[in-house]
Amino acid sequence: MKRIFGHLVWAALAIVAAFCLGGIAIQRGEPINSIWLVLAAACTYAVGFRFYAKFIAVRVMALNDQRATPAERLRNGHDFEPTNKWIVFGHHFAAIAGPGPLVGPTLAAQFGYLPGTLWIIAGAVLGGCVQDFVILFCSMRRDGKSLGQMAREEIGKVGGITALLTVLFIMVILLAVVALVVVNALKGSPWGTFTIAATMPIAVLMGIYLRYWRPGKVLECSAIGFVLVVLSIFGGQWVSRSATLAPVFTLSGMALAWSVIVYGFFASALPVWLLLAPRDYLSTFVKLGVVLMLGVGILFVRPDLQLPAFTRFTDGTGPIFAGKIFPFCFITIACGAISGFHSLISSGTTPKLIAKEWHAWPVGYGSMALESFVGIMAMIAACVLQPGIYFAVNSPGGVVGATPQAAVETISSWGFPVTVTAMETLAADVGEQSLFYRTGGAPSLALGMAHIFAASGGGKAILGFWYHFAIMFEALFILTIIDAGTRVGRFMLQDLLGHVHKPLGRTSWMPGVIGASAAIVLAWGYFLVQGVRDPLGGINSLWPLFGIANQLLAAIALCVATTILVKMHRARFLWITCLPLAWLVTVCYTAGWQKIFSPLPRMGFLAQADQLEAALRAGKIAAAQVAATEAQIFNNRLDAVVCGIFLVLVTTILVDSIRLWIGILSGRRAAHVVEAPFVLSRLRPEEL
Amino acid sequence: MRRVREFVRILLGLLGELSDENAYRRHLAAHGRPHSREEWRRFSDERLGAKYLRAKCC
Repeated sequence: MKRIFGHLVWAALAIVAAFCLGGIAIQRGEPINSIWLVLAAACTYAVGFRFYAKFIAVRVMALNDQRATPAERLRNGHDFEPTNKWIVFGHHFAAIAGPGPLVGPTLAAQFGYLPGTLWIIAGAVLGGCVQDFVILFCSMRRDGKSLGQMAREEIGKVGGITALLTVLFIMVILLAVVALVVVNALKGSPWGTFTIAATMPIAVLMGIYLRYWRPGKVLECSAIGFVLVVLSIFGGQWVSRSATLAPVFTLSGMALAWSVIVYGFFASALPVWLLLAPRDYLSTFVKLGVVLMLGVGILFVRPDLQLPAFTRFTDGTGPIFAGKIFPFCFITIACGAISGFHSLISSGTTPKLIAKEWHAWPVGYGSMALESFVGIMAMIAACVLQPGIYFAVNSPGGVVGATPQAAVETISSWGFPVTVTAMETLAADVGEQSLFYRTGGAPSLALGMAHIFAASGGGKAILGFWYHFAIMFEALFILTIIDAGTRVGRFMLQDLLGHVHKPLGRTSWMPGVIGASAAIVLAWGYFLVQGVRDPLGGINSLWPLFGIANQLLAAIALCVATTILVKMHRARFLWITCLPLAWLVTVCYTAGWQKIFSPLPRMGFLAQADQLEAALRAGKIAAAQVAATEAQIFNNRLDAVVCGIFLVLVTTILVDSIRLWIGILSGRRAAHVVEAPFVLSRLRPEEL
Repeated sequence: MRRVREFVRILLGLLGELSDENAYRRHLAAHGRPHSREEWRRFSDERLGAKYLRAKCC
């Protein structure tokens, strides 16, 4: 009886998923309620988790709770520790949740809500969750080895080195693009700039508190930090109204970019306990709290989506970034559906905490489904804005016109009416001087979140607080990524330089530390400054570059996963990882090719460089702009080279992998599975 | 009531894990040492040093 009831419940969930997906796909002409998206996503994830993920767990992985995990066998009370599955779930989710699934869907909303929503759901269920789950399983069966180690052992030396180089290159682009998101959110905003600036002394205070006053009291210290950060939001409002202080905190994009670069250098060179760690603790708790609040807010308010299912920009002429739905919707969504970076987490801390093999099912597959749901919430938050406002906030002046009047005329001519007065009123409501040309996704996401939070209670009167709370939340963990990423990049570079000159490899040798930190900061700082100077908003070139890089890292992870599945089962279950791999490779190569070679100047890096060069030669560029134009020509060619490097690196690992698969499938090569030996688990449930 | 208690236990466990307070408790138990400022520094230097060798997710 219980079994029949269970089948009926799952059948009902599948019907609700299909009905809601059909509903959002067919609905045209009138606003659709966000609950349709929530139900479509939640029910599809549940069905995918129960049936597809369980099929993989049983038939492909043969998960076995009798087999001791690395957490049990290698238990040291430090890295390796068997932990309750829901605690590992939360820990893993906190580690994989970044700005990608918030910003990507917000930008992809330029195509309308439908393409992005469908890809977030389908991509996660069939690709992203599978990647995270399979890599977690592979690492768990190999004593918690990293993706790079597995690539080296399973594919070969070339695969290992390629994976390492790809991660280093991706980090540079990732840090530049997330820094650009923060810069664009804070430029000309004394309220936001003060609030974010205040988080730095607050973090230092927390670091000193933990080190000297109350050692070990991290939760207590984080609670104090949170109260201080909320107070700083009110402080920011006061600063923005002060005739003396407001100009001090009203910074241009370039001034903010240099501030972030200088900050990144010091943050990576300072002791971690002073700034990085306390802010990381704080940002983790704020991130989880805000995601929960947003979920509750959407369920409580159930807002209507104002953006249409499709916009006219499916033809590739979008103002936020150039390119058609295929491949750029998939590249832009990035982490909301599949994220290569997750494979680094799934083969990092998490496999060392898994107590029983079956826990990998909710942790690996379930956490990514939840992350994807965050992407759906970001899509809803972006789409609750009036389309005219959404485009006015996200479009660069170089596309819609350099004055507010020109911008509203251009945007209204697209069929998305908006007025200068409406934009000014909204800016005044949230305590900003202007909301035009705030590219990068963060301000429009903050507006959508503020709209939902304010509608839950408090109304328009506290819209400004919620807007800056959302900006603070986004900037807080983006700055943590910048600190930590610069630091990791520094270690990777020092590791490489150590082969050239030994002292350079020592992480305690100050000249090496300073030199390597400066090199990494200058690398991402260069792309950041380039993005700030770009008249097309920077996001137009940097976000697709980041998306391509991230998806290519996922392709590397899927190459490793496929290799292991081929060794385990020959061709039988090849399709599980090969289908998402084939899709990613198709999407990334198409996007990469178009970004490099498209004849359209807004799309192709080389075409834009050629157009600028022709204008320069024809004397159409004013004398004062010649140097900037020459720099822009160089930057476009550099972007084309970087994109080409990504494609070459992934082609290398792909060819190497395919060679190995063919060898194994044809019987010419031995399928040697390098799993840790079976040891019977003695762990009892009450120990967790 | 039992379920609420279980939920609170897991929630506190998660907070303890995210804040490294659980790891510190395990560290003290494993080494058989009492809590002190020096011990926290030793633990946190080792823990954070390893933690920030890894990139944060995007």
